[in-house]
Amino acid sequence: MGRLRGLFVGALAALMLIAGNADAAAPKRVKVSGEIVDTWCYITEIMYALGSAHHRCAIWCAVGGIPVSLKGNDGNTYMVLKMEGDGTNVANPAVLKIQSHEVSVEGDLYERDGVKYLIVTQVHDDKGVVNMTHKEYGVQP
Amino acid sequence: MNRFFRGVAFAVAGMVTLGIAAAQAADGWGIEGEKIVRYDAKVVDLLCELTGDCPANCGGGKRQLGLLKADGTLWPVAKNNDPFAGATDDLIEFCGKTITADGLEIHNPKMKIFQLQFKRLAPDGKWARANWFTRNWAERNPGKDADSWIWEDETVKKLIAEDGVLGVPGLKPKE
Repeated sequence: MGRLRGLFVGALAALMLIAGNADAAAPKRVKVSGEIVDTWCYITEIMYALGSAHHRCAIWCAVGGIPVSLKGNDGNTYMVLKMEGDGTNVANPAVLKIQSHEVSVEGDLYERDGVKYLIVTQVHDDKGVVNMTHKEYGVQP
Repeated sequence: MNRFFRGVAFAVAGMVTLGIAAAQAADGWGIEGEKIVRYDAKVVDLLCELTGDCPANCGGGKRQLGLLKADGTLWPVAKNNDPFAGATDDLIEFCGKTITADGLEIHNPKMKIFQLQFKRLAPDGKWARANWFTRNWAERNPGKDADSWIWEDETVKKLIAEDGVLGVPGLKPKE
């Protein structure tokens, strides 16, 4: 009986572990609006990195293969790993065209180790560049 | 001098001072939350690691890559040691392999990212600087100066020609 109980407890623990991992890997469906930003410059604050002032640098960085993120109006920053079914995310031509744009998107959110990763399944709105920061900051850098 | 140029100046000065032989020691960039690190980690395709969508060879250079540490922690590698460039060119040949990564962890509450400065195949491969974006760019663009790639790159030129420096067609910055 003791051996059976041990097997039962072990099996239960294994099931709980599997269930826990499944929860951790499961994405959350989200809708986010915000500005497409250059991840490196924005996160490190190595220079002013928003809007029209930083648009050219955002192009350089995206063409150079730096990941692109969405600075959400909800206060979160999301690294964009997929755009409307296209699984390439290094200098992706569709993403290059929306640098510094204000967009509204829907997609799957994966969170892991301090990073919010966004799989964009649909772009609902693209307002273009609306954050006219060059008036205050000029062109950065 | 803004922090970007100060960071680049520190990095260049560090390389010159230390020389190539000792160059596998990352330089600080003066970024808030940065931590100079060196450890072994597996090179993974971020999308594959997160979603199970796993093309051959980590996407063949078309996907963002990360470092998966032995404790299961995943670090997206956002930057290499070239100006304005990511690290996919530096990491793609190590897809699925364990490397020794030398660089900066950026611990920012908004997002944690890694900047790769040097790498080698673990445990004792030859150290190489993480500057293979410009190396590969030079191979794709013979006769052009890779140090000026941001000014010479045809994709950049086309995008700027279409939408302007400020990202709005027809809108120009004041001289």
